[in-house]
Amino acid sequence: MQTSSNDLTVAVNRFGLGAKPGELASVHDPRAWLNAQIAHGSDDGNAFAGLPGSLDYLRDEARLVATRRVFKQGDRGRRAYMFGAVPPATGNGQANAAELKRALEPYRREERKDLLAEAAARYRVATVTDTPFVERLVHFWSNHFAVSVDKRPARLFAAPMEREAIRPHVAGRFADMLLAVETHPAMLLYLDNVRSVGPDSRLGRRIAMRLARKGDRDKGSAGGLNENLGREAMELHTVGVDGGYTQADVTEFSRALTGWSIPFPRDFANDRQPDSAFAFRANAHEPGARRVMGRTFPEEGFEQGKAILEFLARQPATAKHLSLKLAQHFVSDDPPRSLVDRLVKSYLQHDTDLAAVYRTLIASPEAWEPDARKFRTPQDFVIAALRAGQIELDDNPQPALALLANLGEPVFDPRSPAGFTDDSANWVDPDALWKRVQAAEALSARVAQGDPPLAWARDVLGPRLDDDTAQAIRRAESTRQAHATLFACPAFQWRA
Amino acid sequence: MLTRRQFLANSMLGAATLLIWPKLTFAATGSDTRFLFVLLRGGLDGLESVPPYGDPGYQAIRGALALSPSADKPAHKLDNVFALHPSFDHAAQLYAQGQFMPVVAAAPPYWGRSHFQAQDCVENGTAKPDGAQTGWLNRCIACMPGVDGLACAAVMPLTMRGNARVETWSPPLPNEVNPILLQRLQPLYAADARLAAPFARAVVQQSGASVPETETGLAAMQKGMPGRKRQGGLPVMMGAAGKFMGEADGPRVAFVEDDGWDTHANEAAIVTRKIAELDAGLKAFHDSIGARWDHTVVIVATEFGRTAHINGTGGTDHGTGGSMFLAGGALRGGRVAGKWPGIGSGELYQDRDVHATTDFRSVFKGVLAVHLGVPVSLLESRVFPGSAAAEPLDGLVAATRSVA
Repeated sequence: MQTSSNDLTVAVNRFGLGAKPGELASVHDPRAWLNAQIAHGSDDGNAFAGLPGSLDYLRDEARLVATRRVFKQGDRGRRAYMFGAVPPATGNGQANAAELKRALEPYRREERKDLLAEAAARYRVATVTDTPFVERLVHFWSNHFAVSVDKRPARLFAAPMEREAIRPHVAGRFADMLLAVETHPAMLLYLDNVRSVGPDSRLGRRIAMRLARKGDRDKGSAGGLNENLGREAMELHTVGVDGGYTQADVTEFSRALTGWSIPFPRDFANDRQPDSAFAFRANAHEPGARRVMGRTFPEEGFEQGKAILEFLARQPATAKHLSLKLAQHFVSDDPPRSLVDRLVKSYLQHDTDLAAVYRTLIASPEAWEPDARKFRTPQDFVIAALRAGQIELDDNPQPALALLANLGEPVFDPRSPAGFTDDSANWVDPDALWKRVQAAEALSARVAQGDPPLAWARDVLGPRLDDDTAQAIRRAESTRQAHATLFACPAFQWRA
Repeated sequence: MLTRRQFLANSMLGAATLLIWPKLTFAATGSDTRFLFVLLRGGLDGLESVPPYGDPGYQAIRGALALSPSADKPAHKLDNVFALHPSFDHAAQLYAQGQFMPVVAAAPPYWGRSHFQAQDCVENGTAKPDGAQTGWLNRCIACMPGVDGLACAAVMPLTMRGNARVETWSPPLPNEVNPILLQRLQPLYAADARLAAPFARAVVQQSGASVPETETGLAAMQKGMPGRKRQGGLPVMMGAAGKFMGEADGPRVAFVEDDGWDTHANEAAIVTRKIAELDAGLKAFHDSIGARWDHTVVIVATEFGRTAHINGTGGTDHGTGGSMFLAGGALRGGRVAGKWPGIGSGELYQDRDVHATTDFRSVFKGVLAVHLGVPVSLLESRVFPGSAAAEPLDGLVAATRSVA
């Protein structure tokens, strides 16, 4: 089949992350290029080597908590030394606020360093990767399972969740990705499941007895059901809001999820160190069978919640919800019904296998329509510019992060478990376009590639470079202004 | 006239009150009142923001989260049943002057407990999440010939989407655009069917902005940190809204939004901080709108209230009836509105939530009809179709006074 120039730019821009120099010329068969990326999977070889895992982050936090406790409680916090707290200068719990701040500073510094290193790795991979379609899918699922770092307890774990729960399954079974996400500390902390306790669990009964003795005074301070994760896992992660569940289903599912938690700081003080960032707390798990969406799940501890997730992942409503989101992301805000139906069928026939769904998407003519273009979100825009300009972030991703925040899509910070919107209507308006021109100027200062501007523009825009844009770039008064013109021109604002 | 740079300099000092309304003119109509709608996304707890300390069921149901005027950290007493959260300092002063009013047990017509569906209903003005593709406030503006709206948001919110002209505003990036680059881009955008109009408007709006002399974009970019706060926050955004609306030809109708109100855990601390932000936002708006405060009504709403009982993690889950707030010099406040359904046994909705006795749309209609002069027939047919059962609340607003 003759490769049309349209297919080439669709593969690189709509499926990929925007062309880096040389990319358009290197793709001979756009569909084969995309299918090979699915077979290759996520680009996680060396890119993320050396970053701590979630368990390391939990241990660091335990040390911080312990250090704070030593300062506040003196000898009562002695146990904290066992896992490496810094002893206070005055030693007996009388330390003042300034000393405490000083003692915690190493942890805070380490945390800032880690957050920057995580972000640097994420955007470095996006800038250089040769499997941009897979990388786009990683970002897509990360946003589907959004964790917002404005919730402080979750802030360290959003980036590791993408590495540990999304990447390994990005071309695998959705059911496996779902389980990896719902057992990840990021999601358990973000949606408040870590301290959700079944009222009839051993812990729940103990708490109830204590409360009864104390005359109910501290009601709500500890112990009880929290339905945040149960609800959002149904509404946002699987069957969708019209998926046919009721308040009773949410409550039942939440009961099944009681005990799904993380190692607490005190667990790191034991001789037996936690070996996983997930902890199933059997004593907080609500006993008994659960009935969710018409199906009964017998009491099997952790396996109960796991079975419900597997059940939810296989629901036709889940297939529909995910297929629609994929079609909206890759084709248009209002995708053809025929395409969505085909994706649904593929998902259900292949036991939630995402690779099969992606292959169906690639084989669908609707996905290659030249008119079905998507406006680049701020993140698409910044990544496309980083790639086109081969802008090196080194170990300092801050300029890119500040830009994303200013453009309205701060990294891992959508402020909502629904994630950032994927609808062009929400991103196109005068204020947003103006900021994009400003961002183009800022980004142009860091372009690293050295080709003459017009040749470079041909290289990255390919057939999307129209005569007028070419002329504007040729007439720019400086190389930097030529780079700014390319980033700011209308053709660069579209994933087409 | 103030420049964008002065705005930035001031916002860095925490006094974000100075900026220009970028070269837009808003047609003045006969009456010159102002209306601001503030949407708190996430679901503010009514029992925490307006504690019914005089309800005999309250202490029992709320335990450690219960607030009262006689506590160590006293809530602001409103009457023998209700108080305001201790963080509502400015609001309590306004209340004493008749310029603040909570509405208790209020909800949109949707009672389904999904954030996103509930927000869609609050914004589209119907009982269904897909009941309309446009926002009620945009449709309201469309019923007011010659009036434009302002949304203080980086992205146009559903409330303000539709055919009427609404501008968005958010704090600017700290670098300015090279005018020559702009000249080169204009014909390119003119040829893009989808982007031509918004780009042209951007250029018109921004053409009055001055160029900063010192701080470059890059230097400012270096300050970014992952996880840092998004620009704005209620004090900045409401302060900016007030500044724009205070101008003689400023927007008559505006929108501000905030998030972070979803308190499933550790609610007491979060609500204390967030209500302090809302209170500071009210004060910033009051200060910056100046004399026009006397002709202004503000409505603050959230998509739902929360469960009456505390959950297992010191927070509350998604509920139904919640609180709404009205403020402004044109308000007939200084009282608590709404019928209190009680929170004793048998009084809760589905045995878990505060019942809702006031439909948001009754409040909206009561304000829009009197304060903005939108005919009730249009409110029923265009702004809130299918809302006939939710009758406009009377007496919320002082009769319109003529404005010089």
